[in-house]
Amino acid sequence: MQMDFAYNILAQLPFGPLAFMLILPLVAALIAYFAGGKGARAITLLVTFLELGLSVLLVLGIDVGTILSGAGMNFLRDFVIATIPIGTGDTVFQFTLGVDGLSAIMILLSNLVVFIAAISSNHIHKSEGLYYSLFLLLQVGLMGVFMSLDLIGFFIFWELVLIPMFFIIGRWGEEGCEHASVKFFIYTHLGSAVMLVAFFMIYFLAGESTGTYTFSMLALRDSIPTLAPMIQIGFALAIFMGAGVKLPVFPLHNWLPWAHVKAPTPGSVILAGILLKMGGYTFIRLGLWLIPDSFARLSIPFAALAIFTCIYAAFTAMAQTDLKSLVAYTSINHMSWVLLGVAVGSVGIGLDPVLYPEIVAASNLAIQGSIFMMFSHGTIISVMFIMAGQLKYSAGTRELPEISGLMEKAPRMSAVLILAAFAAFGLPGFSGFIAEALVLFGSVVVYLWAGIITFGIFITVGYILWMLNRIVFSTPDPEKEVTEAPWVDLIAPILMMIPVILLGVWPDLVLDFTQSVVAFILGGVP
Amino acid sequence: MMLQLGPFADFIRALFGPLTDFLGSLPLTDTMIMSLPAITLIVFGILALAVGLRYNPLGVSVVGLILAAIEMVALDPLVATIDTTNMQFVRDPMADFFIYIIIMVGFLVLMSSTLYGGNKGPYNFMLLVSFAGAMWVVMAVDLVGLFVGWEVMSTPTYILVALGPGREAVDGATKYFVMGLLATMLMIFGIALVYGVTGTTVISEVAAAVAGIWDMSATMPNAAYTMMLAVILFIASFGFKVGVFPGWQWVPDAYASADGSVTSYLAGGSKKTGVGALMRILIVGFVAAQTEWMFLIAGVAILTMIIGNVLALAQKDIMRMLAYSSIAMMGYLFIGIASAPYADPTLILSDPTTYNYLVAAYNLGTGAALFHAFTHAIMKTAAFILVWALSIRLAKRITYDDLAGLSKKAPFVAAAFAILMLSLAGMPLTVGFWSKLWLFQSAVFAGLWWLALIGLLNSVFSLGYYLRVLRYAYMVDSADENPIKMPTIPMVAVGVCVIAVFVLFFAPWIISNYAFAAVPPVTPPVP
Repeated sequence: MQMDFAYNILAQLPFGPLAFMLILPLVAALIAYFAGGKGARAITLLVTFLELGLSVLLVLGIDVGTILSGAGMNFLRDFVIATIPIGTGDTVFQFTLGVDGLSAIMILLSNLVVFIAAISSNHIHKSEGLYYSLFLLLQVGLMGVFMSLDLIGFFIFWELVLIPMFFIIGRWGEEGCEHASVKFFIYTHLGSAVMLVAFFMIYFLAGESTGTYTFSMLALRDSIPTLAPMIQIGFALAIFMGAGVKLPVFPLHNWLPWAHVKAPTPGSVILAGILLKMGGYTFIRLGLWLIPDSFARLSIPFAALAIFTCIYAAFTAMAQTDLKSLVAYTSINHMSWVLLGVAVGSVGIGLDPVLYPEIVAASNLAIQGSIFMMFSHGTIISVMFIMAGQLKYSAGTRELPEISGLMEKAPRMSAVLILAAFAAFGLPGFSGFIAEALVLFGSVVVYLWAGIITFGIFITVGYILWMLNRIVFSTPDPEKEVTEAPWVDLIAPILMMIPVILLGVWPDLVLDFTQSVVAFILGGVP
Repeated sequence: MMLQLGPFADFIRALFGPLTDFLGSLPLTDTMIMSLPAITLIVFGILALAVGLRYNPLGVSVVGLILAAIEMVALDPLVATIDTTNMQFVRDPMADFFIYIIIMVGFLVLMSSTLYGGNKGPYNFMLLVSFAGAMWVVMAVDLVGLFVGWEVMSTPTYILVALGPGREAVDGATKYFVMGLLATMLMIFGIALVYGVTGTTVISEVAAAVAGIWDMSATMPNAAYTMMLAVILFIASFGFKVGVFPGWQWVPDAYASADGSVTSYLAGGSKKTGVGALMRILIVGFVAAQTEWMFLIAGVAILTMIIGNVLALAQKDIMRMLAYSSIAMMGYLFIGIASAPYADPTLILSDPTTYNYLVAAYNLGTGAALFHAFTHAIMKTAAFILVWALSIRLAKRITYDDLAGLSKKAPFVAAAFAILMLSLAGMPLTVGFWSKLWLFQSAVFAGLWWLALIGLLNSVFSLGYYLRVLRYAYMVDSADENPIKMPTIPMVAVGVCVIAVFVLFFAPWIISNYAFAAVPPVTPPVP
C-alpha cells in the first residue's frame, strides 16, 4: 500500500532517502558536540523527531508489489567506497542500501525508540555535548544495520553501534558501569568476529562456484544454494554466534544483565529497545532470507534453545531484587520468542503450499510473530526501563523489597508501570499478546512440544504480578519517602504506550507490511 | 607515481619544472638521479650538524625533507626514462610507496622533535642519515646494496635510542644494538649463502635461480635446502629488526626508554622499511619457493600476534603497551605476506583460471600488506607522538592512571587517543578497519581461513588493552581537574594523522590505489 505522497517526498531527498537518513544524524552529531549543553539536546530532539517522521514516510512509501516480485528492494542504491584492483573480478567494497517491508518496520522501530530515549535523556547532566553526539552516531549505526544489503556494509554498521554504546554505558552509567561496558564491547565484538570470518568464506566460496565475487546479499541469496551443505550449515552457525550474542540466546547472554542494569536509562532503552532487535533481524535477514535451507536443518536445536532460554530467563528474572535487573531478564525471556518463531518459520520455507498448507501457514504465522514480537517488545521494554529508572528518582532505590505503596504515593507513575507490566506479560489488548499468540499458534502446529514455552509465560505473569504486588499494591512504609514522578519524566513512557495499545487492538498496522516480506521468504530461493 | 593526488603532483612538477630541467642538464649519472632524495638528505644532515654548533638545526632538517619530497615528485619524468637493468637502487612503484611513507613519518617525527632533543645537531644529522638509509633500503634491488642501506639506516638509530632521557635509554639501546648486531650477522650469512648457491646478489636474478632450483629440486636437493636456510636466516634477521617473533625482546625496552620522537620513527619508519625489505626479498626474490616459506611466515605471524597481544595486556606503562601493540600489528601484516601465493607461469597455458585466481590472490595479499604498512605508520607514529608529548608535559612516564580524567583535562588528547586506539583495534569509522579487513580477506582468499580466524580473535583480544585507554580517559575521574596545555606543533602532527585516519575510512581509495599499484608485478622468473 504505497502512498504516492510519501514516495514523492522521499524521492526528493538528496543522495536518496536512505543515505539521507544516515547522513543527517552523522552531521548533527558533529554539530551537537560543539553546541554542548541545552543546544545539543535541542538538536538531538529535533533530528530524532525528523528521522521518526522520515521513517514513517518510508514505511508508507514501500511498494509491496516490488517486494513480492523477486527480492524487490525499494530505494536500492550503491555507494562505492573502494575498489581493489586485483585482476580477475576487481573486488568492490560498497554500501548497498535498500529496504523492504521488514527493514522499513525495523527502521521505524529504531527511530521511535531513539526518539523516546532522547526525550528521557533529561537526567543526563554531564558532558551533554559528547553524550548527544554519541547518541546520534548510535542512531546512524542502528539504522545502517537495517538498511544494509551487502555483508561488509552490514558489518560496518553492526560494529559502529558498539563504539557509542561503550561510551554511553561506561561514562554515564552507574556504579560498576566501566566493567559492564568493556564486557559488552568485547563479548559482542567476539561474536561479530566469528560472523566476519563466515562472511569472507561465503564471499570466497560463492565467488569460486559462480565466478563472480561479491558481498551483495541479493546476489549471494541466489548463489549460496550452490555450495556444499556443510558449508551452508557452518555459515548458519557463524550467524548464530554473531546474532545469538545480540539477541541474546542462552549460552551467550551473560553481557546483557550487566550492560542493561549499569547503563543510564536512555542507554538501557536503546540497548533493550533496538540493539537486541539487531540480533533478531539478523536471524531473519541473514538466516531465513539468505540461507533458509541450513536454518531449516538447524530448526530443532534452535527451537529447543529458544524455549530453554525463555524459561531459564523467566526463572532468573523471578529471583531478581533490582527492578532493572528483572526487566533485563524479561528482555531475554521475550527475545527468545523471536528465535522460536525463526526456528519454526524455517521449516516452511520452500515447501509447496498446496502439498503442506498447514506447515506453510504455521511458518507464516511464526515469522510474522517474530517480527511483531520484535516491534512490540521494543516499545514495551522501553517503557519498563524508563519506569525502572524513574523508580530510582522517586523512591531512592530500585530494590523491590524496599519499595512499597506506590499506588498511594505516586499514582501517575504507578498507572504507567501497571500498564507496561501488563503489556510485558502479554495481556490481551496489548501488542505483546498478539506477538506471543502468533508465534505460539505457528510453533505448535510444526512442533507440538514447543508448547512448553507457555510455561515461560506462566512464570512471567507470576513474577510480574508479584513485583506489582510488592511495590505498587502494598501499603506504604511511613519511614521511606516516595515522591511522585513529574510530568516531564512521564511524557516519554506515555508516548511509547500509545503504539503498545494501538498495536494490541490494530496489529495490521505492522502486519500489513510484514506479510509481503514473509510471503517472499517462504517462497524460498528458486 | 602519483595516482589520485595526480593534479597536486602535476602542479609540483610544473612548478619545479625548471629544477627538473636543470638537474637533467647536469652531468649526473643515472644512479645519482635515482638516489637524489637520499643524497639530499645526507647533505642536509651534514648541514644540520654544522648549523647545530650555533643555532637550532631543526629548520634545516625540515627544509631538507621538503626538498627530498619535492625531488621525489619532480624527478619522476627523469626517472621514468632511466634504464634500470644494472642498477643497485631503483625507484619502482613499491620503493616509491615506502619512500613516501618514510617522508611522511619523517615530517611527523621532526614535528615531534621540537619537544625534547630536536635542537641538537647530532640528533638531526643522525635522523636524516637514517631517513636516507631507509630510502636506500627500500630502493635496493641487490642484496649487498640492501645490506649497506640497512646499516646506514640502523646505525644512527642505535645512537638515537641511547640519547633518550634517563639511564635506561642506554640500557635499551644496548639491548637493541646487540640484537641488531646478531641480526646483521644472520643477514650477512644469508646473503653469503644466496651468493654461494646462485652466484649473484641481484634479487631478480636470484628469483630466476630459485625458480630453476625449485624446478629441478629433485636433482639438486642441497641447493634447495641451502636456499631454504637462507630464507630462514632472512626471516630471522629481518624479524629481529622489524620486531616480530624470533627477535621482539628488544622492542619494549628500546621503545619505552628512548626519546619518544625516536620511538615514533622506529615504530613508523624503520619497522616499515624492514617490512619492505623482507617483502622484496621474499616476494620478488624467493617467490618460486612460496609454498615453503608461506607456512613459516604464517607461523611467525601467529606467534607474533599472540605474544604481542598477551604481553600488551599486562603492561601498565602506555609506551610499553604501544610497543607490544606494534609487535602485534606487524603480525597482522605478515598475514598479508603469507597470503600472497605464487602464480606459477607454467599454469598460464595449462590452467588459466587458476593462474588468474592466484594472481588475484597475490595482488590482494601483497596490496593489503602494503596498505596496512601505511595505515600502521600513521596510527602508531601519531600514538607515540601523543604519549610522548603528554609524558614531557607531565614530566613522567605515562601509565594508565595518568590518563584518568583526560577527557576533562585535555579533550583533544582524549579524542585523539580514542580515535587512534579504535583504529588500531580495527573498528569502523577509522582506516584501521579497512586495513585489517583486507588483510583477513586476503588470508581467506588464499585458502588460509584459520589464519584469518586467529587474526580476528587476536584483534578482539587486543581490545582488552585498547579499551583500557578509553576507559581511563573517559570513564575514570581524577583528583585534579586542571586542564593540561599540550605543546602545539606535536599536536598539529597528531591532529593531521587523526583527521587522515578518519577521512581514509570514507575514502580509502586515496591510498589503497597506490598500495595496490605498488605490488611487484607477477613477471614470471625465467629459469
